[in-house]
Amino acid sequence: MADVNLTIDGKKVTAPAGTLLIEAAKSAGIEVPSFCYYPNLSLQGACRMCLVKIEKMPKLQTACTTVISEGMMVTTDSDEVRQARKGMIELLLGNHPLDCPVCDAGGECELQDMTFSYGAAESRFIDVKNHRDEQQWSPVVYFDRPRCILCYRCVRVCGEGMDVWALGVQHRGVSSTIVPNQEDHLECEECGMCIDICPVGALTSGAYRYKTRPWEMKHVGTTCTHCADGCKTTLGVRRCSTGTELVRGDNRDKSGINGDFLCIKGRYGFDFAHHEDRLHQPLIRRNGRLTPCTWEEAFQLTGERLRQIRDREGGDAIAVIGSTRTTNEENYLLQKFARTVLGTNHIDHHRTADYPALVAALAGHPKLTASMRELFEAPAMLLIGNDPTRQHPLLAWQIRNNVRLHRARLYLVNAQPIKLRRQASSFFAIPAGREAEVAAFLAGQDSAVAAIASETSPEAWIRWRDQLRREPKLVVMFGSEIRGDAVASLIKFAADLPEAKLICLGDYANSRGAADMGLYPDLLPGYHPVTEVGEFHKDWGGVPEKPGLSLRQMAEHAQAGKLKALYVVGANPVEELGLDPFVFSQSFVVVEDLFLTETAAIADVVLPAANAYEKSGTFTNTCGDLQLVKKAGEVTGTKSDFEIIVRIADAMGVAVRKLVPFGRGSRADMGQSRGAQSGEADRHSVWLEARGLEPKMSPFDPMAILDEIQRLVPGYDVSRLHLLAGMDQHTSLSGSGPGTKHDPSAIMPARDDLFSSGTLGRYCRTLNAVLENGHKLAAEEEVAAE
Amino acid sequence: MADLVSHPDEVKVVSKRFGLGATEIDRYLELDGYKAVRKALGMAPESIIAEVKDSGLRGRGGAGFNTGLKWSFVPKQSPKPKYILCNGDESEPGTCKDRLIFEHDPHSVIEGVTIAGLAVGAHVGYIYIRGEYRYLSEIMQKAIRQAYARGFLGKNILGSGFDFDVYWHGGAGAYEVGEESALMESLEGKRGIPRIRPPFPAVVGLWGGPTVINNAETLASVPHILLGGAEWYAKLGTPKNGGTRLFCLSGRLNRPGVYELPMGYNLKKMIYDVGGGMAQGHTLKAVVPGGSSTPLLTREEIDVPMDFDSLMKVGSMLGSGGVVIVDDSACMVKFALRIMSFYQHESCGWCIPCREGTDWLKKTLTRFHSGGGVRKDIDDLQYLSENMLGRTFCPLGDAAAMPTISIVKKFRKEFEDHLDGKPCPLEKAEAIERSPVMA
Amino acid sequence: MVSAGIGWALATSVVRYTSCKMSFLKGIAAIAKGMSITFREMFQPTQVENYPDGPGPLRGAKFQERYRGVHVLQRDENGLEKCVACFLCAAACPANCIYIEAAENTSAHRVSGAERYARVYNIDYNRCIFCAYCVEACPTDAITHGHGFEIAAFNATNLIFRKEQLLAAKPGHLGANAVFNQVEVAGGAALPVPGS
Repeated sequence: MADVNLTIDGKKVTAPAGTLLIEAAKSAGIEVPSFCYYPNLSLQGACRMCLVKIEKMPKLQTACTTVISEGMMVTTDSDEVRQARKGMIELLLGNHPLDCPVCDAGGECELQDMTFSYGAAESRFIDVKNHRDEQQWSPVVYFDRPRCILCYRCVRVCGEGMDVWALGVQHRGVSSTIVPNQEDHLECEECGMCIDICPVGALTSGAYRYKTRPWEMKHVGTTCTHCADGCKTTLGVRRCSTGTELVRGDNRDKSGINGDFLCIKGRYGFDFAHHEDRLHQPLIRRNGRLTPCTWEEAFQLTGERLRQIRDREGGDAIAVIGSTRTTNEENYLLQKFARTVLGTNHIDHHRTADYPALVAALAGHPKLTASMRELFEAPAMLLIGNDPTRQHPLLAWQIRNNVRLHRARLYLVNAQPIKLRRQASSFFAIPAGREAEVAAFLAGQDSAVAAIASETSPEAWIRWRDQLRREPKLVVMFGSEIRGDAVASLIKFAADLPEAKLICLGDYANSRGAADMGLYPDLLPGYHPVTEVGEFHKDWGGVPEKPGLSLRQMAEHAQAGKLKALYVVGANPVEELGLDPFVFSQSFVVVEDLFLTETAAIADVVLPAANAYEKSGTFTNTCGDLQLVKKAGEVTGTKSDFEIIVRIADAMGVAVRKLVPFGRGSRADMGQSRGAQSGEADRHSVWLEARGLEPKMSPFDPMAILDEIQRLVPGYDVSRLHLLAGMDQHTSLSGSGPGTKHDPSAIMPARDDLFSSGTLGRYCRTLNAVLENGHKLAAEEEVAAE
Repeated sequence: MADLVSHPDEVKVVSKRFGLGATEIDRYLELDGYKAVRKALGMAPESIIAEVKDSGLRGRGGAGFNTGLKWSFVPKQSPKPKYILCNGDESEPGTCKDRLIFEHDPHSVIEGVTIAGLAVGAHVGYIYIRGEYRYLSEIMQKAIRQAYARGFLGKNILGSGFDFDVYWHGGAGAYEVGEESALMESLEGKRGIPRIRPPFPAVVGLWGGPTVINNAETLASVPHILLGGAEWYAKLGTPKNGGTRLFCLSGRLNRPGVYELPMGYNLKKMIYDVGGGMAQGHTLKAVVPGGSSTPLLTREEIDVPMDFDSLMKVGSMLGSGGVVIVDDSACMVKFALRIMSFYQHESCGWCIPCREGTDWLKKTLTRFHSGGGVRKDIDDLQYLSENMLGRTFCPLGDAAAMPTISIVKKFRKEFEDHLDGKPCPLEKAEAIERSPVMA
Repeated sequence: MVSAGIGWALATSVVRYTSCKMSFLKGIAAIAKGMSITFREMFQPTQVENYPDGPGPLRGAKFQERYRGVHVLQRDENGLEKCVACFLCAAACPANCIYIEAAENTSAHRVSGAERYARVYNIDYNRCIFCAYCVEACPTDAITHGHGFEIAAFNATNLIFRKEQLLAAKPGHLGANAVFNQVEVAGGAALPVPGS
């Protein structure tokens, strides 16, 4: 759009036509205060804080509703404007309870900040303030009406952003109040966005309520450990008697791929870390019972037994099951450990999407994957299968808001009337399980239409396909329903479109990372087949070239008595995949986990592991965006999976340096030589770390493995500086190995929804406390009724 | 039905058919009814607008915007349907003129709406009547039924090929909905909260279509203008303030009531001649010239012509024509409190200054009137009102602030008489009533 | 160097010899002057504090009102704790010696007047510098400096005072057996109060 020139406070400002004055001022570094204005939400003009003087206008105008025009002369800082702001704050504080010392928002409250910046120190009101008792709307949402300034941000983010419309306004005038949809309680997606967006302490979190104050916490922006979307969640950490305590999760840092968004799992799903069932001590099976022991004993025993079995029976007798929630570094290290130390290719994980087929089909089509950020900008989107509202909340947010803000077109094909239907420009219902036929039809196989045209006529399908073929920059999303050949068909369709891109939806936080890092019996990191001698074989000095066993085959192997040892890292195949626990009764089973899961219960050694919030590394989300995982807390008695793997290797008598290429630094320069006061040491360390130059002094440093990943795994050679700064980096699959065709039945979707998260979700109190857990959402019922 | 009053100075235009049984369409037709529509059907839309513009007819709702000019803002071509909205949500304290029009002459409103539809090319009109006037809905609905039956409404009206539908809609009792954009929200079934402007209703209004919103009295004047001609109408009033208007005289007068007087009629004469002067034993203290939202005039200021521009010059407004006479038995603090209680109750709560400002003004005035006032309060009342003035989302905040400022300025003495715990000099102070807020 | 030193010694001895008589008298006068103050003060009332052998709980120690001693966490007129666990004292503390854990009041267990109270309130007197910033920061006037000063300890861990040690006594007008919340009834014991 054409640019418009205007003057704000004597400063010449140029901004695109159609820009709001408040944004234009912000771009010029002039702050115009506001409560009700929030980018990407509808305009209100209700708080009157952004009043500015515009020349030739008799009254002060709200900067948040005024669109800039050529030659506009604006004053944002005059006596009149200052008085207006002061007056507004005075009025707001009139009925405000001023209970800042006990208010959870105290210290991060916009009303406090505004009062300090623009308000008056004294109140002129001496009459009684209006009071109304606090209400609990759900286990996680509390509402305190007297603190509310009625900016309607919560109402808008819930309705416009989340498409839930659970909040509204009741009564009028000074009695106006925000109300929940079920009279006295909320029935919604419990995302907590209303709490995050509340500028004051009117909406507070039940999980964080009265626990501490914002400045008492350390705020660590890390990647969520639940679904595969990779939202950034900021964890508030506080010291406590047992180490550190995660006090809250929120979306304080809006720099993540999720922007303003965070769902219930990202916000409240950290409480498993302090669940009383958490393991704090390693366990060894003695006389048939799991009994506590020291870490030394556990490592000794594990190392000893694994070495014996390897030496006696060969690597073929050992199998490894990896995790979809451990970091890329741990996954990489695990498969490297399995292949180079244990000498086995029997390594697998809980597969939730067919990434190898995607890679295989993508061969020769560079840049065909979309990042989570690109999805928000895409002019058209096609979703086949899956229910992002429940399984991929961030993806659903991106889709919804792309439709709302950019008028993007959404094409839906689903067997269920999913909630996103409300945003769809077209919705085609298909019989359950016919997603592959849709892919085939899109790829040009017209005969497939018979299988899918149950509710919509074949002609309509053909018109629909023609319309899709005309869409520039289409993003195609598909869930686990599309596997194997269907993936290839879909890519065939997408490759013929101009700039079309794909997103393959996995289910767990690092499902994609586990696949990328080669937790497959037949694939090395970067989808290189084990049978082909390549970089990895050279670098690691030998990899077994015979493809190993998949999860199901491992069980059969064990049944036949050929599996002598099983090493499970952060997985619960007994519960999640229905593996028969008794087949492993003859095997030596080592399990690393947070809790005594069904799988851990059959183990000979249980090692208490740290979760993703207690270690550092990287995650790759389902789109392939690489993000940093930062250590936030620590729980006494646990160790990260990285350290455990290294120490087991050490106990087996392996030269640890061969496994983790850490450096040989001899002296730690703590800044003495460079003047620690000047901050020079800090600056140097950032630079050094970004370039991978700092001495990795410890074999437990995941950065040492990240160096190797970036060196050897195609697509992961992204900017380290950006990664360390907390930004997301899209990893391209174009340089990956040829991938492979797997048995489609090996893919088992996670069956999770908004309020569950595999085994981990069982230990999240908040997720289990909300009313909606296990129920249909009200909005879904509406959609179904339509 | 209320008794009708009359005075020789009256120029009966809108009130021409009052008391003559014009609610029945036959009687209405005898009294020149629906002649203007017939005439308008033969006119080009531009010439209808020009006629109304030339007549100097200004909005009778309070703002006083030239009606013809307002109509001319409606785009000729619009992808969305256009609408005519008759604002009959007459809620201004002191104003009771639209009620009489609906009661005595409902067809003139229907006729006016139809002519406006012809002028801007709309095919649907809504008559929105105040919730508390529900008893008038019978009359209005009957009138609409009769108009349909006689072919003045519906498809192909009077065989002209022009379709026009009129619907009646009742409010739910909110002063705020008298504001035009809040009226549209209410009509669309939402909370009665004003919209952000621009865009103005003439461009984006009801359901996104261009919309003309006029007061009932304005629309009821239109047929008379078309029949009598713009020049005739304009000459009834003063320059730029064409025609006549209904003035609602209330207070301790000898002959209170609704009088139709030419624009520019002297206020003093209106009180002492038309209204019959003050009732026995009472003297004039102040006058509210145009409904409770207009600044008060003191006894010394009443020698002004009642038109939009002259009242603006003396620092007040003509408003909606509700002339309220305040006599010497009234306590001005109580008066301010009464006004503020109304606005506090009617504030929609959308924007801070109005929602919180009216509440605090009411609280302060309540305490002040019952003897709990301190000297600082007097300045605070003014300070608070000035903080609201011109900074609210819609004019309701101004409507609450303007009379308060004028009362505090002009009757400061009375406020000072309430200080130091003294009881109200004019009436027994009541205990501080707890306002039923946050109910 | 050596010759210069000898010269200086000779010169001083000559001076001493010549003023010997005068200095003797001056000496006596000076002693008398000094002793006169001593004798005069002997008959004045004693100004020295008789700590630790004085009477009363303070054992003779006296304080200015503004003396900043061990903190006291005050109670309100209903005997509820004034502290609402706002953490402002901890934030203001330059020595970082205040540790708080907050919890929510319930109708059955009401400890403070507001929604929140301090479940744990520790002051580490190893680190406290008695600057009174915490007192200044307190929005509810809950923390004040008392006059307690005998806090020396053989073990540094004993210098971390818990809330129970810092809390003021319950107000007398409520009676010695006043019950403040249901938990105390259930628990059958009142909080230990220093000095009681």
